[in-house]
Parts: sequence; structure tokens; C-alpha cells
Amino acid sequence: MSIGKVHNIKKMVAQLVLLAVPTAILFFYLLWDINRFYDILENNWIRQGIYFSTGIVAAIIFYAFRFRFFTTAAVVFLFCYACYKLVGSMSFGEFDAFYFSIQFLIFSFLFSVGWLAGFGFSRSRYFTIAWNVLLLVAQIVVVSKTTDIKVNVLINAFVPILAYAFYIIYTAELIRNMNDDEPKFSWFILKRLSGFAVVVMLLFLLIFSFFKNDFMAVEREWGGSEAKYEKGKDKSENMNKKDGKGNVSNKDQTKLTGSLSKDKQLVFVAKLDNYFDDNITPNPLYFTAFYYGKFDTLTQTFEQDSLMPYNDLFSPDPSKIPLYFSKSDSSVLKNSFATKNRKVVTADIYKVVLSPDVYLAPSTAFFCQPMSVPKEFKDQYKSSYRAKMWVSDLNSAYFIYNPAGNRQLAAFQELRFNKLREVKKVTGPDKKFMDYYTFMPKDEEYKKIGELARKVTADAPTQIDKMIAIRDYFLSKDEFDQPLFKYSDNPGIPGLPSANKLTYFLFENRKGYCAYFAGATLFMLRSLGIPSRVAAGYLTVDRSSKNPGWYWYYADQAHAWVQVYFPEYGWIDFDTTVPDVNTQQSPQPDGTPPMNIPQTYLVADGEIKSIDVKAKQISMTITKLLYHDKDYETKVAKELSIDVSIATISADTGTVQLSALTPGLHITAVSYSEALKNILADKDDSLASILKKLPVPTPVDEVKLLLKDEVKEQQKQKEEKAKEPVDWAKTIFYLLIGLAGLLVLVFLSPWFTWMYFNAKAKGKGNSKAYHSYRASLYYLNQLGFERQNMGPQEYAYSIDNRFGSSFNTFNTAYQKAKYSSVPLSASEKEVLNNSYNGFIKKVRSQVPLKTRISKFLNIYNTIHFFTQPKIN
Amino acid sequence: MEENIQIEQALANIGKLVDNIETVIRGKRQQIQFVLTALLAKGHILMEDNPGTGKTVMAKTLAKSISGAHGSSGANFKRIQFTPDLLPMDLIGSHIFDDVKKEFVFKKGPLFCNVLLADEINRASPKVQSALLECMAEHQITMGETTYPLEKLFFTIATQNPVEMEGTYPLPAAQLDRFFIKIYFGYVDEATELNIYKDYLGIQHNQDNLQQVLSMNEILFLQEETEKVFIHEELITAVKNIVRDTRSHPDIVLGASIRSGITFLKCLKAFALVNGRTFVTEDDIRGITFAVLDHRLIYRNRDARQKALPLIISKELDRLSKLNITINRTAFAPPVQNI
Repeated sequence: MSIGKVHNIKKMVAQLVLLAVPTAILFFYLLWDINRFYDILENNWIRQGIYFSTGIVAAIIFYAFRFRFFTTAAVVFLFCYACYKLVGSMSFGEFDAFYFSIQFLIFSFLFSVGWLAGFGFSRSRYFTIAWNVLLLVAQIVVVSKTTDIKVNVLINAFVPILAYAFYIIYTAELIRNMNDDEPKFSWFILKRLSGFAVVVMLLFLLIFSFFKNDFMAVEREWGGSEAKYEKGKDKSENMNKKDGKGNVSNKDQTKLTGSLSKDKQLVFVAKLDNYFDDNITPNPLYFTAFYYGKFDTLTQTFEQDSLMPYNDLFSPDPSKIPLYFSKSDSSVLKNSFATKNRKVVTADIYKVVLSPDVYLAPSTAFFCQPMSVPKEFKDQYKSSYRAKMWVSDLNSAYFIYNPAGNRQLAAFQELRFNKLREVKKVTGPDKKFMDYYTFMPKDEEYKKIGELARKVTADAPTQIDKMIAIRDYFLSKDEFDQPLFKYSDNPGIPGLPSANKLTYFLFENRKGYCAYFAGATLFMLRSLGIPSRVAAGYLTVDRSSKNPGWYWYYADQAHAWVQVYFPEYGWIDFDTTVPDVNTQQSPQPDGTPPMNIPQTYLVADGEIKSIDVKAKQISMTITKLLYHDKDYETKVAKELSIDVSIATISADTGTVQLSALTPGLHITAVSYSEALKNILADKDDSLASILKKLPVPTPVDEVKLLLKDEVKEQQKQKEEKAKEPVDWAKTIFYLLIGLAGLLVLVFLSPWFTWMYFNAKAKGKGNSKAYHSYRASLYYLNQLGFERQNMGPQEYAYSIDNRFGSSFNTFNTAYQKAKYSSVPLSASEKEVLNNSYNGFIKKVRSQVPLKTRISKFLNIYNTIHFFTQPKIN
Repeated sequence: MEENIQIEQALANIGKLVDNIETVIRGKRQQIQFVLTALLAKGHILMEDNPGTGKTVMAKTLAKSISGAHGSSGANFKRIQFTPDLLPMDLIGSHIFDDVKKEFVFKKGPLFCNVLLADEINRASPKVQSALLECMAEHQITMGETTYPLEKLFFTIATQNPVEMEGTYPLPAAQLDRFFIKIYFGYVDEATELNIYKDYLGIQHNQDNLQQVLSMNEILFLQEETEKVFIHEELITAVKNIVRDTRSHPDIVLGASIRSGITFLKCLKAFALVNGRTFVTEDDIRGITFAVLDHRLIYRNRDARQKALPLIISKELDRLSKLNITINRTAFAPPVQNI
């Protein structure tokens, strides 16, 4: 018995190669992707892909023959089911049986899907569309299950499927419509597919070239930095971020997620020169890194906002400032609006794993001066800087801490509260300020937060009382005398993806880490019209009695809290996070603080001109000089020879060898040498004259390397960023104008064509008759009187019938001129030369202007006129 | 110039002949032209359609118009009604014993005539059909050792009923090829039909009193002239294209042969003459191609029969209409030689 074929072998092979193979490849990819999320699949994506491929290939081959679907598929599925049952009931070890039956279930599922797909590709025309819709929906479900949706997740999930969808629908249709008797079948398909590929590529190129700037911007913003600290599939949030070299800094975004990872790494050590009035008791302050002005409700993320009004954040890059030179910004002081209870405090920060480019200081900082780390501490601390800030004594950490039942602390905090209670009316400096810092998302969820805040603060008369009420709410106990809110690094996520995590935290879960407490407090305050923001940084714990004023900061001290604005007092820190036992029990500091910082006599900043490695001497050209704490600068670079035989050479990453220095590098040389102690500078000395006084070569104790290239690069990047904003309105406007122009051109093309023909017909010369004939044909065709299948004479008759013209006379003469060897008579020549204008006029007079215009806008007639009928 | 005057006269007479036949066969001008085309191209014509559409009348009218009502000075017209029991002898004649001369003499059959109407050709047995078709091709009959040439003007008008009807022997493709043109009669339109019913007496009268408008000599002369009709090189190319397209068209199983192409050319020239021209134009291609080629092609299906050939013609006409060729310069043209 022979079985009839539905498709011949060519078509089947085409389906296998062009449909089955790409589908299998896509499935390999999808399975690989899904394997990362579902444990049951056990990372066997290659084997699973093979199951699917087997199914689709088998089905395509099978259904190329005249088999019926329902019966055959039923047999296959029943067979699979029977095998599954059989495997399940086998009695070789319960676990093995379960394992195998699960494996077999996966196999039969994938094989069946492959089988169905194969059948669809083989037989059903609209299957490809349904298939792609199914895949897309499945992918949407998978993506919606991921808690952490980022641009690259979306791209990875959808771009392959979309590309596949376009390809498969086109190709399936192409194969379906193939004439399989075609001798050059494969060549035809190749031609079509490559044509399709070229069109798609052009499209992509067009899109890329059009939106390149935007892609680059998105890439920079999301791709690069994000990818670095989102290594692996760690979906938990971290208050710190780590760069490639293991440096730590606060993240400039903090997202509300299911869990927070913490570790006990020492990040930095700081000496804070702030004491209570007795000048002995250290007064710790929280260290601020950023202010989060914005909360992205969509991704539930706190973000820094460069457009923050009255920016009072001073954030220099200490690694870019030459050693002992300083940078300060007084505008932040003005923008802090703080006048009362403020004083200038100094802090020395020694970085352990803290990123060299990070600047941390209690708010409101305005000054930064990189310092060298004493030699004996070089291994321990990578770099250090001195910060100065305009500090409110109301921002003492003891004021800020959530007392959480500590009576002593609560009593102490009353001092601050009493002072702040004097502030009756809370208004910002202007409306812009108030609008920005009391902004609430307009959403039911946030209204609920507002209601809660009003309920909690119903009895509080002043702003500070409201704040205390909110803090006490977080500390209150439920009916079982258990704390209402608990600290948890793993609060979990709401069951619904993308549900509001803040309301989930406030009303249901009541567990969270600092960002939850800070976020909830922020919106409760803002709903009451109190200007507030979230600050991120490190909370300070005074654990040292040995070295008062010295504080140790561990990674788990990374923190977020709320700042509230009080007129005249400025931004006041406020922490509502309920205490976490773990944070309190951080390891005791065991290090010795870097003391005995030697007196620097000379700091020279400039570029290396040449290096003598043997003599350990460097010749450098300097432009800036600090000598005995006096600042000198010159526009003309001067040369200085330094002796680095005893110097420690360091970069931000740590100590480096002399060989790491190359001419052209930017260095800062520091000298503590006693030899310079007595060479004093006179009042009217310039940089050049001081250099003359110095011994040659000048002994130097420390050389700090500044990565100059990076500075330039960053500047470049900044310039690029400045260029970046694409004026969308303008782009769209130009695009629309271009499109409109193109449209007008397209619609006017019949008219242009007609002008061309007309001009040709009115011209003189041997081909006048031909051009007249062509022009007439075009004109008539455009007006809707096509020649169709008529012969010239037949057509001429029909035109004459319609218009009462004498086109036939012309046509007869023209045909004679074209094909006959008999000479034309004078009258025929006359007709050929002169009847054109009259004919066109006659036709024109009988077609209303409206009809003519509408007909001339119809480009299809023109296209039809120029296309030759095609066989096949 | 004498010749020229003659040809103009002859061309005028063709027009008259068409008109003359049209007094009897109403609304069939195109079919009449096809018949004349086949006649002038020295070919034969096959007419196919349902009974009672005027095939036989057409043939008779044509014969009468050439031979005149009395058949004396004009062409000799014979008619054979084909039946299944007809034998080749009945067509070509047979040897009969002459009692007086005491020998067998050849008694000529109806084939020895100028215009032969082979009515319902597909009802005869294949043997008879092939005998007839051989004569049509060879223009002579060989009986035993003697070869008898046919008349100088020998024109066969065969008619047949659609092959689907009962009691027919369809003509094989090879034999169909012998007919230059195959036309379908079809029914006339409503108005013409009403006109025919109203005036059937007049038509009958016209048929009975047909005048001879073209002498046999004139027809022979026109047959000679057909060869001389001017055909432009591009039109020959068009013939080539059309014939080759029929072979490459996916819906045509068997395309036209080279012999068909030559026949096509001959018919084009004849059709130009019938239309009163001494040169072939695009209109001739449009007019005659289907009639000449259709019965030579084997199509994949019924739908292809409707579409394939018209498409090929339309494609070629499109090409021709875009050609910028002028033999006759409309201005400053040197005189061209006569044909």
C-alpha cells in the first residue's frame, strides 16, 4: 500500500530547513531561559530542546504524507500517556520512578508540543499566527512572573520571539504559496528569503540610525552600570553597590524588593570632630551619600534626581582632586536654608573598601580635601579625605535614633523636640520647593497611606509632633502586645507582581528594611504636607570608648532615613526604622585609627616629565604647589626634580611600584621632609622662586597617582550627555514633514509623469507620433479608461464612442506609420502631427475637473500603466 | 501600377464579400473574417459549436459568394455530411470498371472541388477523418499508382459539434493542427437574435439570391498577395514571443509548435488583408492569435484555457504598444519602395 503525499519532497525539506530548524533554535533558547526560573527542568535545556526538535521534525515528515491528524495524534498522545503511566508504576525504587516519570512527562509534553507545531507547519495555513500568539502569551506570562523587570530582561525575552514571528509567518506563507513544480525551487526561496532579510536589515539599520542616540543613552543608563552590580541572578536588593574591583559605595538607586543582602565588611573609618558641649563626649552624626528626591512608582525605586530644586548635595570626586588640594562649594550652604543651630565640623574619612570616587559626609557638607594615608596604615586604608560640613546639633545621631523604648534616649530626644516644637508654621522657601518635596503620586494606594497618616497624627499639633506620632506608630504594639512592625531583611513580596510594595508593607506584611520604613514615613509625611525626602548613607554607631570621635562603618550600616525640612533649622534627620538586632551587634572595632599624620611642607601637583628608575628620581612639570600650607599656582609649568627613593607611591587602588609610573601621568608629590622645615617662603615669593630655594632633587615621601585620562574621558562623557537629550517634538515634527513631503510626492507622481509625457508629445522630432500616442494612452489610462486587453483599434473605437473624438483616425495613421512600409499620405502626416492637442482638449472638456483631480491622485493607474502583465 | 490597382480592387472586394455574407449570417462579422483569413492563408478552417448556430449556412454562403448562385464561372462547392458509416472511398472516389473501355476508370469523389464543407467531421470514423486531413495537407490524392492533384483552390470548412456530445470521435491534437483556424460560433446577442427572427424571410431570400462578389481568380490572386503582406520585424518577434510563451506558461501542458508559428504568421498576413491592409499591425495580433493558437494548446485545466492565452497576448501587446518604432518618418521621410 502506498500512501499519498500532501507535499512533495522539496516542500517538505523546505519546511524542515526553513521552519523546523529556526523553531527548534528558538525553543533551545526559550528552554535555556526558562530553565533558569524553574527548578523542575533541572537545567537540561539541551536535552529538552532535542525532545522538541524530534517532535517537530517527526511531525513535519509524517504529515507530509496523507495521514489524518486526529487519529494519528491521538495514537501518539495515548502512547505517551501509557508510557508515562507505565514508568510511574514501575517498582524500581520509589524515587527513581518518580524522577523518571517527571522526566518522561517533560519529554512527552515537549514532544507533543513539537508534534503539534510540526503538524501546524505542515498542514494549517493560519497555524503560524496562532503559534506566534501562543509563544508571545507564554513569554508574557513568564516575564510577568519575574520580579525584577529590566530593559535587558524585556529585550532578551521578546526580541527573539518577535523576530521569529516575523520570519516564520513570512516564510511559512512563502513555502505554502510555492509552486513545487518550479524547477528552481530552492533558488527561488533563497532569493525571496535573502530579499526579505535585506529588507528587514535595512529596516533595523534605519531604526538604529534614527534612534542611535536614544539607544546609547538607555545603554549607558541601564546597561553598563546596572549590569555590574546586578551580577548573577541575585534578585535581592543591596544598599551598597560593588564595582568590578570590589569597591563599595551607596547605590544611587534603592529599590523596594523582597530581600536585602548585607555583609559585615568594613567599609570605611571616620574621625568626626564633633563633640557635645563638654568637648569630650563624642556626638556622632549620620553620614549622607545621596538624597533621594524621586520615587519611581512603577519600579518601586528611590532615585536620585539631578533636577532637585535647591540642590544642597555636595558630591565631589575625591579621587580627581590632587592630594591636599581642596574643593568646596558654598552654594550648597545657601541651598540648605539652615541658619539656626549650625556649626562647621570637620571629618576625616579613611576608606577601606569604599569606592575612591565616593564622597560621604554628614549633611550639609561643602568641602573636600584628599589627604594621604600615613605610611604604616597604607595597607589598611586605601585613601582618605577631609570633609567639612555645616552641621546642625539637632542632627546628632542620638537625636535621630529610633529610641524604641530606650527611656534615656527618649528623654534626651525631648530636648530636640522641644526646640523644634517652637516651629509652628512650616513653609518652604517657595512654592517650587514645597511642590517638589510634598509631591505624592496620585493613586488610590497613596491615598490610603495619606488616610493612615491623618489617622495616626490626628492629635499632633505641630510638625514635630506629627513626626513623633508617625515614629510611635511604627513602634506601636498590636492587640497581642507584639510589635506592629518588625525589621526584616527578607520581608517578601506581595503575591501580585508589580503591586505596591509600600502599601503591602504598611497594611499587610508590616515587615521591612530601612528603605521600607523610610519610604512609608516619607509618603505619610508628604501626605500631611510636610516637606521631606529620603537620605541614603551610613548610620553611625559609637562603639569606641578608646578612641573617642572615631567611628567604624560596616557594610550593614548602609541605611536610608528621612529628612524633614524645618524653616531656619534646615533639613533635620529623622529615622523611623525599628531597631534590628543584627545591626546593633556589629563586631566591635578592633583596628587602630590612623594617627600621627605628619606635617606636610610641600605638595606639588603636575605631570611626570621623565623618570630615572635607577636613581629613583622623577622630573616633573608642576603648575600647582602647596608650600607650608600656602597655595601657589602658575600658568607656565615649572620643572621640579624629586627624589622618590623613600617615597610610597600609591594610586586610589593602593600602593603601586615605581615602574607603574610613566611620563605624562598626573601625580601629586608630598614631602614631610625635615629638610624643608626651615626653608621658609617669603611673602612675595612666587612658585618659581620657591622652586629655586628647594634642594635638588627635593626629597619626597609620597607620590599619589591621579588617573588623568579618566578625568578627560569623564568630561567627554559629560559633554556627550549634555548633547544627548533628543528633542522629541522636533524630531517627530521633522519626521512628519518628511513623511508628508514624501506622500505629496507620491500622490503627485501621476501628474509629474503626465507633464513629462505631455511635454514630449508637444515637442518636435521624429518620434512625435510615438510620444503623442503614448501621452494619449497615459492620459486616458489615468482617467480610468484603460486599454486592458483591447487591440489598438478596438481601444480607439471605444474611446471615440465615449468622447466623440477622432482618436481612431490618429491611431490608424500611427499604426501605419509604425508597421507599414507604404509611405504615408500628406493627410496622414497631418493627422499624426497635429491631432494630439485637439484630442486631449476634447477628452479634457468631457471629464469634470473634480474627476480629473481625483483620478490623477490615483497612483495605482500609473503603476498599472507601467507594469507589464506577467506570466506566472 | 496595374498590380496595385488590382490589389486595391481585390481589397475592396474582400470588404464586399464580408458584407455579402453578413446579409445572411447576422452578427458574425468576426467569424466571417476568420473564415476568409483561413481561405487567403491557403489553410482550412474548423468551426465548432452547438447545432443550429449557423455553421453550415456560413460555409454555404461563402461558397456561393465565391462561386455565384449558379456555380458556372465560379468555384466548385461540395458538401459532405459525415456519418459514422462513411468510408474514405466516399470522399476521394473509387475505380469503377468501364464497360465500354474495358478498364477501370477513376471516379472522382467530392474532394475534387474548390470549397468543401465537411459537416460534423467528428461524427465520422477516425479512418475517414485521417483520409480527409491527409488530402488537406498534401493537396493531392494518391490511388494505387496514380496521383491525382486536387484543385488549385481547395478550401475546407469543417464543422463539428462539441466533443462532449454523443456519437462523436474527437479529433486528435495532431489533426487539429492541420486546421489553420478553429472558431467557435456561439450564439448572437439578444438584439441580433430578435432581428433574425423578425427578418428570417429576408435572410432566406438573401441566401437564395447571393451574388458572386469575388472570382476564383481574384481569390487565387489574393492568396498570392497574402505572401507579400509586409510584416515588421518586431511583429515577427512578437510571434516568436507568443509561441515561446505558450511553451513556458505553467498552465499550458503542450505549447505551440514551430509549424504553428509559421501558420500563425501566414494567418496574420491574411488577416491584415481581410482587414483591408497590406501590413500587419498590433490589431492583427490581438484579433487572430486566439483563433489560431487556442486549439493547438493543451491546458492544465478549464480555468487555464480562459486565462493563459489572453494573458500572453496582453503581455505582448503591452510590449508592442511601448515600442518606439517608425518606418514611416512623419517628417522629412524619404519615399519608401513599393511592395
